Amino acid sequence: MALARAAGRAGASAGLALLWLLVCAPGDAGCRLLSVADLFDRVIRHSGRIHSLSTALYAELEKRFPPRDNELGKPARKCHTSGMLTPNGKEYAQKIPREELTHLILKLLQAWKEPLSHFNQHIEHHQELPDDSLSKAKQISNMVHELKTGVEKVTEKMQSMGIISNSLNGMASSEATGLSISNEANMMSDSDFIHCFRRDSNKVQSYLKILKCRIMPENSC
Amino acid sequence: MKQKLTSSVRIILLLALTEVGLAGQSYPGRPKIIRCRSLEKETFSCWWKPGSDGGLPTNYTLWYSKDSEEKIYECPDYRTSGPNSCYFDKNHTNPWTTYNITVMARNEIGCNSSDPQYVDVTSIVQPDAPMNLSLETKTSASIMNLWAKWSPPPLADVSSNSHVYHYELRLKPEEKEEWETIPVGVQTRYKVNRLQAGVKYVVQVRCMLDLGEWSEWSSKRCIQIPDGKSPPEKPTIIKCRSPEKETFTCWWQPGSDGGLPTNYTLLYSKEGEEQVYECPDYRNAGPNSCYFDKKHTSFWTIYNITVRATNEMGSNISDPHYVDVTYIVQPDPPVNVTLELKKSINRKPYLVLTWFPPPLADVRSGWLTLEYELRLKPEEGEEWETIFVGQQTQYKMFSLNPGKKYIVQIHCKPDHHGSWSEWSSEEYIQIPTDFRVKDMVVWIVVGVLSSLICLIMSWTMVLKGYRMIAFILPPVPGPKIKGIDTHLLETGKSEELLSALGCHGFPPTSDCEELLIEYLEVEDSEDQQLMPSHDNGHPSKNAKIIPKETDSDSGRGSCDSPSLLSEKCRESRTLPSTLQTQNVRDVQENKGGKRSWETQCIASEQKIVLFNDESTKLSTWPTAQLPDNQPPMFAYHNPVDAHKITLSTTNVNVARVLVGNEEKRQSQYPITETCHDDVEKQKGMENLYSKTDQTTVQVKQNRPNDKPPFLNPKLMDYVEVHKVRQDVEPAVLLKHKENSRKTKKYTVPGTSKEYTKVSTVVDHNILVLMPDSRIQHTSVSQEPAMETSQNLQQSQAEKNMSYCLTVPSKCKRENNGSEYMDPSSFMPSFK
Repeated sequence: MALARAAGRAGASAGLALLWLLVCAPGDAGCRLLSVADLFDRVIRHSGRIHSLSTALYAELEKRFPPRDNELGKPARKCHTSGMLTPNGKEYAQKIPREELTHLILKLLQAWKEPLSHFNQHIEHHQELPDDSLSKAKQISNMVHELKTGVEKVTEKMQSMGIISNSLNGMASSEATGLSISNEANMMSDSDFIHCFRRDSNKVQSYLKILKCRIMPENSC
Repeated sequence: MKQKLTSSVRIILLLALTEVGLAGQSYPGRPKIIRCRSLEKETFSCWWKPGSDGGLPTNYTLWYSKDSEEKIYECPDYRTSGPNSCYFDKNHTNPWTTYNITVMARNEIGCNSSDPQYVDVTSIVQPDAPMNLSLETKTSASIMNLWAKWSPPPLADVSSNSHVYHYELRLKPEEKEEWETIPVGVQTRYKVNRLQAGVKYVVQVRCMLDLGEWSEWSSKRCIQIPDGKSPPEKPTIIKCRSPEKETFTCWWQPGSDGGLPTNYTLLYSKEGEEQVYECPDYRNAGPNSCYFDKKHTSFWTIYNITVRATNEMGSNISDPHYVDVTYIVQPDPPVNVTLELKKSINRKPYLVLTWFPPPLADVRSGWLTLEYELRLKPEEGEEWETIFVGQQTQYKMFSLNPGKKYIVQIHCKPDHHGSWSEWSSEEYIQIPTDFRVKDMVVWIVVGVLSSLICLIMSWTMVLKGYRMIAFILPPVPGPKIKGIDTHLLETGKSEELLSALGCHGFPPTSDCEELLIEYLEVEDSEDQQLMPSHDNGHPSKNAKIIPKETDSDSGRGSCDSPSLLSEKCRESRTLPSTLQTQNVRDVQENKGGKRSWETQCIASEQKIVLFNDESTKLSTWPTAQLPDNQPPMFAYHNPVDAHKITLSTTNVNVARVLVGNEEKRQSQYPITETCHDDVEKQKGMENLYSKTDQTTVQVKQNRPNDKPPFLNPKLMDYVEVHKVRQDVEPAVLLKHKENSRKTKKYTVPGTSKEYTKVSTVVDHNILVLMPDSRIQHTSVSQEPAMETSQNLQQSQAEKNMSYCLTVPSKCKRENNGSEYMDPSSFMPSFK
């Protein structure tokens, strides 16, 4: 419970931080020019908070709706994003081109935007769920939005600085896939859904860290 | 056997008998004692073998004798131990006796006896073999054991069952010849290890008392050891762990192997895949483990892991273990933990901890981010203090208790998931004490010193308090006259004189005012003393007046410091100086009483007249004649001054003066003996007022000093002028109001005309004489009703004059020609 509350607080403050990030976009007058490293630190922290929140929410859902076979990762579970080919190890993630990795991160976030809002609407009708869980779900949904915006900002900045090429633009437009798999997401149980999201939020965080350390290896990496 | 023997013997005997009977009969053959044996050291038996019976029924008798006696006994019991035996029970058995035993055979024809047998009981002990041997196999922890149990040998005397036997067990596989003998001890059961499964074993036991011989081996028992072949129990997966978020290892605990060599196989499948794989590496992480290298490690996927145990009899599979490698990361503890003690600017030590992430963890790639937590406690402490450090790899610790030895440990954990590593090895650091002690010493020294200084200071204050006070609060400077222009005095231009004296402008300057405020109270008290009947309004005005008075006074006497004056006073010890000091004191001391004078006189070691009578004078005069404020002042100062001045003058000349006390005054002159002369002088002075004809010279002398302003008020007070003749000899008749009967002539030659001007006519027929320049003043002063500030000032001016007069100075030399003049300067010469 305390963990959940702490997570909620973390989420709130993260929202504020990201708000500042958005307001203080590079190029704004009267705003300190944020370095790419700073931006990265913020989105990494933000993704970490999302992961903590989803972990807490997942624990609550598990407690409330114990899986029938009482086993972690029952074979039936299949995330709607598992079709996406994502690096599943360090070396893989280090080999993949930066642009592609950035694209993957954005794609992952995009894939969760819609299902998360659906999920929010869905669980609001859940009488058994405590308000705490509902607010967490809502927060997660908002934060994913913010994170996506943040990552886009970083991407823009990196592109403007020539750190990554602009080839990303073509890939990012293919959002139809996200919509198609979101239907799959609706078929899952609540705890499965959050479990999948938790995993992907961790993926995003790890990819962001890898990306940051690849781009700026000198910066606390 | 014996039976067979005997029966066969009997058959032979029968045959022999029949033969003998046919052929002839004979005496029996010689019997033979076969053995004697004790089972338990308390009883024994002997057996014999009969000889030939000689064809006739034969009786056998056993005789025995003991070595201690000659007597021969017969066997007590032929039956217990069977035929041809004799049983010696407890009563007939003595372990320390040697028995001589003989068996005799007898028949009708004759008898025959055996060779004697000597028996020592202790040497013939041999128990029977143990009984009831039973065998059993038991399986514990997949190991087969054989349990053998038996009971001690039976005894004829059931009651004596307290003997302790030692046992020996021997066993062998049935088909083998060699026995394996195992000493057992006193127990009646034994567990046999290291048995081959599936083999039939033969087991025997025997026993022995603490002396004597081993018994016979018991009867054989056989047992078939079972095969024990069964499928293994199911193993358990203990845990999976990834030390660096790149590879991971799983460990399992095997169940029992069912007595057969068992193989373990780890199988896993990944989430969403049907295919089952086998562990890629069983050896890297030790026995009963499986190591997944980087190639076989995937993140964000769930591994379904099982372990299968297999032997000849079958196999068993563990419960599945689901693992997402992301969440099983448990790093190694941090390494190279160093503790360093540093000093901050304020010399307080602080602890700097530095460490490195575990070497396996690749934190630089961003793939694994570690967070650290450290804990520390004093060496003897119970509770750890735990501090979460975050991602940094160093930490500074302040506020450690000096003089203590601390234990520090650090562990780490991946952010957001995974679990804490083990604690790093304990690091010790001794926080030094000396920093604090040094500070303490410094502070103690400072404290002691300061308190010492305080003590000394307060001590000196107490001892020399007076001087200290005088030093800190210096005495108010006394009035002082730079000098008086005698010419001015002579010409009678008092204004010029005043200006010469330094008081420019009659309204005194304010700074003068500030300087001598102490006069205020002096005058106040005097006033009250002098004018008890005054209006309420007056005292306040007096108060107003007084400071001004003092101003002008001080304005003049600013040359010399009071200390200087007092010094002079001491040095010269002259009368004038005395007077001066008296004045000074007068100014300083608010008491205003004559007592203060007295004390001052004493203090300055001047022996002079004490003007105690003054008070009486003053108190009497005002009531009679003082209508306004000014008179009291005059009354206060003038008489005194006058006295003094006259005193001084009289000192010079008064030898001639008649010492006639014409005045009847109530006042007493408290006179110290040393001051006697002075008293006389004073008296003489008083005489001056009343009747001095002879003192003209003195008056003259006095006049330059001060007489004009000084005496006039006096005159105003109590002198009635009866006659004024300017052209001729000026003669002033002085008349005390009180003592009006005494009217004296005051002759002032020459210059006296200035004093003889009539300023006003007061009351009835009383003239007030004033110097020319001062007519106004006197007139003013004589108007009781008018009390203006001007008046006051003027009166003060007069007062000042009087002060000027009284103040002695060194002007004496200049007396003749110089502008300055000190009235007191006259006196030293007379001394």
